[in-house]
Amino acid sequence: MASRTVLPLRDRLGSLTSGTLAWLYAAILLIPFYYFISSSFKTNEEIFESPLALPTSWDLSNFATAFRQADLGLAIANSALTTVSALVLTLLLALPAAFALARAQGRFGKVIENVFNLGFLIPAFAALFPTFLLAAAVGLFHTRTFVVLLLPATALPLAIVILTAFMRTIPRELEEAASMDGASTLQVLRQVYLPICIPGIATVLLLNFLSFWNAYLYPLILIGPDTAQRTIQVALPTLKVDAGTDYGVLMAGTLLTLLPVYLVYTVLQKQMQKALVSGAVKG
Amino acid sequence: MTVLEVTPTTGRPVSARPPGARPRRSPLRERFPGLALPALVWYAVFMIGPVVAIFVIAFLRWPGMLETPSFAGLDNFSVVFADATFWAALGNSAVQIVVGLPIMIVLAFLLAFYVVQKPRGHRVLRYILFIPALISAPATAMVFYAMLNPDGLVNGLLAPLGLAGNAWLADPSTALGAIIAVELWSGIGYSAVLIAARLDGVDTEIVQAARVDGASDWRIAWRMYWPIARDFIGVVTMLQFLSLLFNSAQTVLLLTQGGPGTSTMTLSYLIYSKAFVETDLGYSQAVGVVLFVLGLLGMWLIRRTLRATH
Repeated sequence: MASRTVLPLRDRLGSLTSGTLAWLYAAILLIPFYYFISSSFKTNEEIFESPLALPTSWDLSNFATAFRQADLGLAIANSALTTVSALVLTLLLALPAAFALARAQGRFGKVIENVFNLGFLIPAFAALFPTFLLAAAVGLFHTRTFVVLLLPATALPLAIVILTAFMRTIPRELEEAASMDGASTLQVLRQVYLPICIPGIATVLLLNFLSFWNAYLYPLILIGPDTAQRTIQVALPTLKVDAGTDYGVLMAGTLLTLLPVYLVYTVLQKQMQKALVSGAVKG
Repeated sequence: MTVLEVTPTTGRPVSARPPGARPRRSPLRERFPGLALPALVWYAVFMIGPVVAIFVIAFLRWPGMLETPSFAGLDNFSVVFADATFWAALGNSAVQIVVGLPIMIVLAFLLAFYVVQKPRGHRVLRYILFIPALISAPATAMVFYAMLNPDGLVNGLLAPLGLAGNAWLADPSTALGAIIAVELWSGIGYSAVLIAARLDGVDTEIVQAARVDGASDWRIAWRMYWPIARDFIGVVTMLQFLSLLFNSAQTVLLLTQGGPGTSTMTLSYLIYSKAFVETDLGYSQAVGVVLFVLGLLGMWLIRRTLRATH
């Protein structure tokens, strides 16, 4: 990068204040984190008496209790199953669509693209109740299956916009060469487009993993309280009890919902950075 | 990031093929994008259909799931507009937006501006800013539930300072503020990361030149970066506006259930509670229509205030 110029004193003071404010804000983001992670190793008494103290022992019993009390093992399995199936379905729908739209020349392509672009402005939550009716009408009410079918629809606008932007960067000649070698449309998609779109696909996977794994209201309403099917996000708040919540257990449960997110984020983040840098998604 | 914009396809140079090459007729799939149809149908069934249904159900008399609905005309709307709870919810949503949104966007912009100057530790800061975006609404709510309870962290920090604690979520005068605080906590950093991605694209040479001319950080932020990023900030503002307006139902459901009294009743939570707690379906979806109209109005207003100026 360019070498830093020496700033006049006034500006250095200015950036000192903005720097202080920025880091103060970072502290406001981090303190709840520290509080809840340390609390997950403490008892209620310890949390209440010295909220900021480090736990006296790294006792894992709160995690065991959280697991048992809210059936978190099963809930995590349900969340994983729902999230992975919905991600696969999202890619199966979005990849061919983006491929078609990136190369479309006619009016239809334009119209379809605009439908998805406008989709950004429809908040999924708005139609919670009609969606609930739809689930009942197709006989999939109180099942994970319906949530698996529904989640990709909420993700399609963003997925298609990102993937289409990526596929537009691919030179037409590459595709023509492949066609002349006798490749079918699907082969062109698989062998020419897919490898180039890996960073875009990673971005789509990461963003949608976050929204699918973290989804709350839809799974709550559509899957319902059935412990055999409910997801981790629905199970977690059941650790909060009106009289006498065990905060240590609640915080331990919260931590458990976050671990998979950090795992996936760390793995996919590199690819996503590549996507942002490579230019297809930047403005 | 053009991700969120509709970019017109530029005309491709059709005649740019080497002389002697076979003239290529554009294949059928370029004229008719058939591979996009499954996605389109999926989207229509699961998203567009239910949204359209809101506007149908709002005109039905439908007092419970097991009852047969009948046409009600505008009755649901007259019931809604005569209901004090609706007006309380409208007021709370207005406070949320009018107070919460400007704070969120201005702070996010200032943070983004700070981060793109690449001060020491800016990478760490960017990482920290993104943390709230990774956490689900229930997890965020549970952490704040623990912090805001009478024996929680907030009161624990206030006590040594000699300040009286409070049951923040149970006190009608602080409950809505607490909900807004939770939303700001989860929204500011994420917006900052988005805006920073746009500010990264600002030409550093003009900024350097302005610095040489003696412009202060504050001037550079508001007179250069803000106008340049204005339309993109508009897009981020719109997304956060919709999220505040529609998604507050989750936070409210998890933390206060609209109470105490109606002090945290928001429009989106009212829709939820009328549909799933009181099963007054016509009422619920009539509020849904109102919310939708307000959403469109708000977006139009944001577009007008934050459209590109250069």
